[in-house]
Amino acid sequence: MFGKPKQYPDNSGIFARKADGRRERASMTFAEKIAAMDELRARVAPLVRAREARKQSELISVSSRS
Amino acid sequence: MTLRRTIEVVTKLAEMRVIGGYAIARAVAAINYIQPMLTEDLDILISIDGFEKHPSGLLLLGPIEKALADMGYTERTNVGYLVEDWPVQFLPVASALDEEALEQAIEIDAAGEGEAPLKARCLRAEHVVAVALKIGRLKDLARVQAFLEQSAVDLIRLKHVLERHNLTRAWKEFCLKAVIADPLIGIE
Repeated sequence: MFGKPKQYPDNSGIFARKADGRRERASMTFAEKIAAMDELRARVAPLVRAREARKQSELISVSSRS
Repeated sequence: MTLRRTIEVVTKLAEMRVIGGYAIARAVAAINYIQPMLTEDLDILISIDGFEKHPSGLLLLGPIEKALADMGYTERTNVGYLVEDWPVQFLPVASALDEEALEQAIEIDAAGEGEAPLKARCLRAEHVVAVALKIGRLKDLARVQAFLEQSAVDLIRLKHVLERHNLTRAWKEFCLKAVIADPLIGIE
């Protein structure tokens, strides 16, 4: 119970690299960034559609119960 | 159907004088300064000059709706007019902060390499941060934090904007929530 303290890895290097990546992406041109936003949006579009469809079916089931 | 095309349509509305002063605001304005992120719409801050006011105080954006319809954009979503598949929300100036932000907006180029130049107006970083701080939802505060982390805002200019618009207290509260030392301390 009072044995050797558990050693955990130091993740600070990972977080520092992630912060560097964010700064690097921040230095892209506006045109590059808006193109990236189009891509991001296209990537999540199936998830958004699925969420909308789920909402719709929930609405239908609620209204058919009432 | 790209955000670039959507911005182009907004610039056309300005050229046609359907809208007067305008500037890209909120999330899309933020990405001029910080890393790209996901957003559902394009917010455009517009001057209220030239728009008719309903007795209730609401601004009637009929001229925008008509001009967009003439260009073939007739669809609306719950977050705005659908232009090139992007919902566009026109936000009339609603405070002294908005007014200053619009006046001091900068011109940016939204054209990619090899494309014809596309000049559009965009809010300055300090105004994007001040507006986000004023709105104060978690996602807005996260945006403020991103500006700080990515050294994307001039702290001197930000301090003056916050002071002019009584946002110093909101700033202190943000620093407490974000568990950061106030980076504006010592800045004159």
